[in-house]
Amino acid sequence: MNNLRLLLPETVLATLALVIAFADLVVPAKRARVLYHLAWLSAAGVLAWIAFTMGDASTHGVGTLWSVDPFSQFFKLTTLLTCVLCLLLGLDYAELPENQAGTFSALMLLSTAGLMYLVSATDLLLIFVALELVSISSFILAGFERGNPKSNEGSMKYFLFGAFSSAVMVFGISLYFGATGTTHLAASAAAPGPMLILGLVLILLGFGFKASLAPMHFWVPDAYEGAPTPVTTFLSVAPKLATFAALARVFGAIFPLQAYDLTLLFSIMAALTMTIGNFTAMFQTDVKRLLAYSSIAQAGYLLIGLAVGTPLGREGVMLYSFVYVAMNVGAFAVVQAVGSAKGSYDLSAFDGLCKRRLGLSLSLMFCLLSLAGIPPLAGFMGKLYIFSAAVQTGQWWLAVVGVLNSVVSVYYYFAIAHRMFFKEPSDDAAIPVGAYIYGGVAVAVVGVLLFGVNPEPLIAGVRASTQILP
Amino acid sequence: MIEHAYLIPLIPLAASALMHFGAKEDPHSPAPWIGVVAMAICLGMSLSILSAVASGSVAVPYEHNWPWFSFAASIGGKSFIYDMPVGVLIDGPAAVLLVVVTLVSLMVQIYSIAYMHDDTRYMRYFGFVSFFTASMLGLVVSSNLLVGFMSWELMGLASYLLIGFWFEKDGPTEAQKKAFMTTKLGDSGLYVALLFLFAKVGSFQLTQIHHFYDKGYMPAAAAAAIAIGLLFGAMGKSAQFPLFIWLPDAMEGPTPGSALIHAATMVAAGIFLVSRTYFCFLAAPQVMHAAAWIGCATAFLAAAMALVSYDIKRVLAFSTVSQLGFMMCALGVGGYTAGLFHLTTHAFFKALLFLGAGSVIHSVHTNDLRLMGGLSKKMIVSFFTILAAIAAISGIPFTSGYYSKDMILANIWHSGDRPLFFIMLFTALMTAFYMSRLFILAFWGEARDHEKHHHAHESPFLMTGPLVLLAFLALTSGFMLDRHGLVYKLLPKPTISVMPGEVAREHAPPATLVSATMPAEGGEHAAAPSEAKAEEHAPAHEAAAEHGEHHEGHLPHALHLALPFLVLGSIGFAFFLYKGPDYAAAESLKATFAPVFTVLDRRWYLDDAFDLLVVFCDKVAALAFWIDANVVDRVFVDGWGLLMRIVSEISNLIDALFVDRTVDGFGGLSLDLGVGLRGLVKDGQVQEYLMYVAIAFSLAATLILTR
Repeated sequence: MNNLRLLLPETVLATLALVIAFADLVVPAKRARVLYHLAWLSAAGVLAWIAFTMGDASTHGVGTLWSVDPFSQFFKLTTLLTCVLCLLLGLDYAELPENQAGTFSALMLLSTAGLMYLVSATDLLLIFVALELVSISSFILAGFERGNPKSNEGSMKYFLFGAFSSAVMVFGISLYFGATGTTHLAASAAAPGPMLILGLVLILLGFGFKASLAPMHFWVPDAYEGAPTPVTTFLSVAPKLATFAALARVFGAIFPLQAYDLTLLFSIMAALTMTIGNFTAMFQTDVKRLLAYSSIAQAGYLLIGLAVGTPLGREGVMLYSFVYVAMNVGAFAVVQAVGSAKGSYDLSAFDGLCKRRLGLSLSLMFCLLSLAGIPPLAGFMGKLYIFSAAVQTGQWWLAVVGVLNSVVSVYYYFAIAHRMFFKEPSDDAAIPVGAYIYGGVAVAVVGVLLFGVNPEPLIAGVRASTQILP
Repeated sequence: MIEHAYLIPLIPLAASALMHFGAKEDPHSPAPWIGVVAMAICLGMSLSILSAVASGSVAVPYEHNWPWFSFAASIGGKSFIYDMPVGVLIDGPAAVLLVVVTLVSLMVQIYSIAYMHDDTRYMRYFGFVSFFTASMLGLVVSSNLLVGFMSWELMGLASYLLIGFWFEKDGPTEAQKKAFMTTKLGDSGLYVALLFLFAKVGSFQLTQIHHFYDKGYMPAAAAAAIAIGLLFGAMGKSAQFPLFIWLPDAMEGPTPGSALIHAATMVAAGIFLVSRTYFCFLAAPQVMHAAAWIGCATAFLAAAMALVSYDIKRVLAFSTVSQLGFMMCALGVGGYTAGLFHLTTHAFFKALLFLGAGSVIHSVHTNDLRLMGGLSKKMIVSFFTILAAIAAISGIPFTSGYYSKDMILANIWHSGDRPLFFIMLFTALMTAFYMSRLFILAFWGEARDHEKHHHAHESPFLMTGPLVLLAFLALTSGFMLDRHGLVYKLLPKPTISVMPGEVAREHAPPATLVSATMPAEGGEHAAAPSEAKAEEHAPAHEAAAEHGEHHEGHLPHALHLALPFLVLGSIGFAFFLYKGPDYAAAESLKATFAPVFTVLDRRWYLDDAFDLLVVFCDKVAALAFWIDANVVDRVFVDGWGLLMRIVSEISNLIDALFVDRTVDGFGGLSLDLGVGLRGLVKDGQVQEYLMYVAIAFSLAATLILTR
């Protein structure tokens, strides 16, 4: 066990998660909310810890099954940021059972810790264990609204699919082990052969489940629709981005796509993911389902960056990931506020929102426009980075598919915006908005606007964090 | 003043924010004057910039950049960090456009104060108009195509907001969606072109891209792809065939807003983009040729539709599309100056026509030309100003449209493409016909609907004032710009010295596009092979270019003289058909050629074609949705659950049949064994245990020892 100390932040987080789980037994039910605060403060503390030691070379290094490098730290930041924001949203989500605050927040933290292990893992064993940690926590989180049949259904489907993809991934790992005699991810150990490649492809499918890439995306809409909204927010951002980080490590740094003839597979998956996500999103009437499909499409754009396989593409993925945290969390936060108030996530719940809550409507509009990639918002910068990386390597058809897809996506994003600004409200019910939601939305919108108009600091940060240790 | 040009888009933007969020909704609020004053300041700045450029007291192109952010780029295997600046680039066309946009917007805003006074969303409207103008101005001044693209998209958003302003009705809601999605489709082409440009050049700076093209570094295939993408973007925004379907519907918005869209902002943006990136087109002659024919098709088809429409705003919308076709065609045949000249003059008379039409609609409360008639007696100012606009758009000698349209036709003539020329000539005559028809139906003769006629009245001064000023410009701007070749000086055609793919070599005669499009002048335009020499010859080169374009700007003498008479003939024909109170001549003609009229009335069935396309896409997506809901959910998710259940049932069965039996069997076996053994071991006496231990041990020992 070399350099175990490098994983101290995630280990501390996991320990804190367990502490919170046990504290649940001690803390009286009336005071259970304090556990949420404890949880987000723990995550924020670890976030600050990693953020402040990011540039410190002594925190980087290679361990037995892991390596901690600027690249992994960057994605740990996005994961923790998402976790903090989602826990804050959870504070304003009335449907969560009060007396299980400890379980809920402990599971969120455990899942986050799993993702942090995942982005640092350089061994298939650790990758698998980390993924299982994330998956099993997420299965429970997705079914947390026990009174809601949709939540149960989504959770069950999520579980079944997760079990299947775990099996596939383990099969891939066994093939990999057969080809190389080790579970360690190192290109030197492996000569490209049919067995190795089959193994890598099966592993890719396992990743595809978490990152919601076609054809492993089927669970997404049901799980997202049923899950409590803060959990949906978390699931749509953190596991996806961390999986992309792991994919970038495995298929970018260790097994370059070009050397293993996987570029075409990646490109086709990217095109399929975008197209399926966008075209199916057009017909959704439930906002959570709509955003679920949109998040599938967004994964497709991200995958372009990996399919390109150049440093520029990887930078694009990092940039877009960071921006994606802001815009998706922002969008879901507003959706949660409106959905909880109206008791329905139907599109019509958004009719005439600007008359009641101009700030919320504008925030949601900014986030949606950013997701659609309309300049001058941050999403445009990210897309531009990724698409220009694709054009520069000659995979311009991917960029064309991406651009056409963003045109299609405008249609359904604008359907929401249209309802907010151009329809009369259907009832006079008040739309209460909690302080934590306001906080989350404010962070997101500032990010979306700031990094769109002035992307300089973000690009500098990304460029400083591209290093991947073997 | 030119060093503060960056303020020109920012002032209206600030005004827009102020009016939108700062002021309460109140029909008598003085807040719209914020927008008017902001625009007046911008107009003042633009005028001073234009006069400085025209007098030559500042060197154009003027460029100033500020650092924005840096971008990692790798071009040709070398990777470096590229600093993306944000800045202003003012050249002749930009200076002219600044004045046009700010002037038209100012007129529209002043006019709107009276026109919109009883609307419930008064402030919102002015906020949108200022925002719209600000985005257009951003596109005009930007030195960076990326910032230009941002403004371009914001303009799309603004048009969406403005067209759907009266969203309580279904028409505007549909129209705004149609406009936004159609232009967005075009934008995707522009987006791809920008990606290609960045991949090849590594910069979004217009001057750097021009330089790159100028050296002939751009491969021919990439140049063609980029030009196609840019053209596609312009076709969406500037409503070219077949993406023009959105513009006629866009008149669902408030009429002054339409004036803004049709004259100064939205549709001008596409033409301006083509002119701004003209060197990209020069490098791709085939695309330019395509652009010319697209412009021609647009001009003709739209003019034909205008012939039969009875909705005053719709006729004007078709005429805008048709005039945009003229501009695109001019740019396509290399008539850069002519295209931009027409853009300028058109902005004045089209703004005037829309505002005038708004004045008429305001007064008689209908769009239908058949219910008007005889308005000349009631609305004297509107009558004369619209008369001026119609003279200009028809090309009556010495009005502004006469100069610019003449120059366009001359450019087409000199391109040598005779079919193109004759179609465009015919279209120009159609223009005169349908505009006269509109004029006759609305103002001439006797009132057809006495009720409406009785209530008609002249509009207040805030509305007629802008009309008079615009009428003055519609009549004189052509003459002012054409005098002393000012238009050539302000709108000089850009050049590229080397064609794509051919990197300049010392002795190879560079094939320039200028020489390709202008056989007669080719020799003089051959650019110097090396950059140093090019600079040396620059003055001579410019002089030659100027001379060449002057030549291109004139029709052969006979045609030049015949054109006004043809136009007058066309107007006369319109009078003949529509002069009576019930325009019997026109009706009989309509009856004779009913099928033709039906086709035109149905807008060439293009809308139906697009509807079919949309329905088709709808069906495909619905199919995908159905597959998702039924196949995927059923087969993959539910099916997976079912499969799991079946598998577990089977495994249960196997368990029960085999495993359990086996376990039971084993159990039974061990039980039997135990019983047997117990039978052997009688009563648990210790000596017997020991005896067995001894036997076992002796057996083992025997085995070991006998080996």
